[in-house]
Amino acid sequence: MVVKLPVDILVVALPVLYAGIVAVYAVTFFGSNSPLERLKRPLLIILILVHFVYLNLRTFAFDHPPITTVFEILTLLAASMSVAYLYIEYRTNVRNTGLFVLFLALVFQTVSSLFIKDLLVIPDYLHSMLLGFHVSTALLGYTALALSAVYGLLYLMLYHEIRSSRFGVVYNRLPNLETLEMMSNKSEVFGFVMLGVAILVGVFWLPMVFREISYWDPKLVGTVTIWVLYAVVLGAKSKFGWQGRRTMIVALVGFGFVFLSMLVLNLYLSNFHAFK
Amino acid sequence: MNLFSIGISHHTAAVDVRERMWLSTEETRRALPELRDRFFSECMLVTTCNRTEVYGIGREAAIDGGALTAYLLDLKHAADDVRPDHFFRHQAGGAVHHLFKVSAGIDSMVLGDIQILNQVKEAYMLAQDLGTIGPVMNRLMQASLHVGKRVRTETGLCEGAVSVSYAAVELATKIFADLSKKSVLLIGAGETGELTLKHLVGKGIGQIRIANRTRAKAEALVAEYGGAVVDYEQIVDSLRAVDIVITSVNSPSYVVQPDDVQKVMRQRSHMPLFLIDIGVPRNVNPAARKIDNVFLYDIDSLNAIVDRNLGKRKEEIPRVTKIIREEMVAFFHWYKTLQVTPTIHDLRETFEAVRRQEVEKNINRFKPEDRELVDLVTRRIINKLLHQPLTNLKQGAENGSRGSETMQRIKILRDLFGIPADGGDRGT
Repeated sequence: MVVKLPVDILVVALPVLYAGIVAVYAVTFFGSNSPLERLKRPLLIILILVHFVYLNLRTFAFDHPPITTVFEILTLLAASMSVAYLYIEYRTNVRNTGLFVLFLALVFQTVSSLFIKDLLVIPDYLHSMLLGFHVSTALLGYTALALSAVYGLLYLMLYHEIRSSRFGVVYNRLPNLETLEMMSNKSEVFGFVMLGVAILVGVFWLPMVFREISYWDPKLVGTVTIWVLYAVVLGAKSKFGWQGRRTMIVALVGFGFVFLSMLVLNLYLSNFHAFK
Repeated sequence: MNLFSIGISHHTAAVDVRERMWLSTEETRRALPELRDRFFSECMLVTTCNRTEVYGIGREAAIDGGALTAYLLDLKHAADDVRPDHFFRHQAGGAVHHLFKVSAGIDSMVLGDIQILNQVKEAYMLAQDLGTIGPVMNRLMQASLHVGKRVRTETGLCEGAVSVSYAAVELATKIFADLSKKSVLLIGAGETGELTLKHLVGKGIGQIRIANRTRAKAEALVAEYGGAVVDYEQIVDSLRAVDIVITSVNSPSYVVQPDDVQKVMRQRSHMPLFLIDIGVPRNVNPAARKIDNVFLYDIDSLNAIVDRNLGKRKEEIPRVTKIIREEMVAFFHWYKTLQVTPTIHDLRETFEAVRRQEVEKNINRFKPEDRELVDLVTRRIINKLLHQPLTNLKQGAENGSRGSETMQRIKILRDLFGIPADGGDRGT
């Protein structure tokens, strides 16, 4: 197969390229006036383009979009986070948070590259338009919740530096607490809505493709539980006007659960969508 | 180079002396043309609360520093309070170095002062306006402004607040996104508290509330900065509706207790509260620091920020010095070529005049269709003849370590070709 070789090369190259872009963002974060400052955005755009080439080649080589296993989803998530970050950088002109967002993308891509399999035959039920919609919304949701967690973490780091009067590189480079909180909150709400849509579509799609399904499937129960927890927290935030440190901890813990449900439940199960 | 600088600064004189020599814009406008007429071919004057300095290209190779000092003292009628030894004097490279240090902000009382560059720029523009500076000072000032800009963009010399009041404001901008949507409560009318409020107003703070035991003082501050007066007894209640609190009260006991803050934080849904306690003894019980979303800073923690920032600025001095050195090299490189420019111009003119004269005299001997060619060929001959000596002269000026050698070459050339001495050639 002609496109198999470039796919194999890119599987190895992508984590290396992500490590490279993380290194560039780290150099500009920790050092002032680095000549890389002007280069980092074009380099990120190139990386995203390479990633898109990889995703397309993969789709072509294995005759299905990379949405059928958790490791295929992780590479999509890495690409999605990079695009989301690029968009945020353009919109807010906050240029110093890339290190943290792209580091998470590096982790996703590395895990994906290590475990991704060349599946040539996939079940028929995975060839579905509705599944495409389900995956897209879930992807947007997960990306936004991951961003919310990253900005929550940055908030807590800066909060700690300001309160303890230890003004280091975090204090000098990050935007103010209120901006970080706003970025985390907006991402969280967007992620919550998208995940809600993904769950709805998923629940609608399941009976269409499986004759015998259980709504007590751990994956489904886990995801719905997390979504309900987010609903409770967001409701409470809105009703009581909660702000600051604790809400950022919630964003972080929330994403921790999301990540665990995505990874652990899927390792526990044999396949991402192997509903019994 | 006959560049001179003479003046007084915080390094040489105390404030009572410096203020005697401070010149208003009007006085500067009067003084500059006089200074030029009496001492300099080009000159300018930088005057701020920390320095009054004259920079100029002397009419003579050496300048009578005593007469210049006497002129300045006379101008300000300050001979009784200011002694000649309060003045520093620099010459040639020393003067350039001093000006670059001033623009860079490493000669300022507050290391890395950002205002000085603007003050130098204003002095330059005023001199330009009055026509008291020419090509050399123009180039020098542009180089000096370039030094200032490079220092600000390439080093951390001007980063971090170096006053207690500004450190507090800087912290506020690290907590809140948009100060115009925030409100401040000033408790007490202490000097540092007022200065902090002034900085916040400068940053566009939204609402101002002021409380003081003596209500009239609070009203006076409201008249100056706007906002509303709050009853001193109501200050704890007021914490509910403000984002920043500056306390600067002379009180033996705490004015704000942790329980008050805890209660208020619940009422304000834990919105961040920034407490700036400038009072000595402290006005806010430090236990309030432990409450979530409360940022409490006292005078010691603010001073620690200032000290740390000053330390960081000091660490930047070697990088600043390197920039100054680079710009001095660039400036003197230009200056050396400037010495030979008028001679090169005059020599070309002389040769061209001879060529033109001879061509005009003999042009009728050539066929009309060849005349253009004659003109072209003779031009080329002149250019080729002059190319080598002029290149050598220019390179000698650029690379030669001693200006006197270049001056000697210029003199020989002018003597040999009968070119009269030119005022444009500048002595070393």
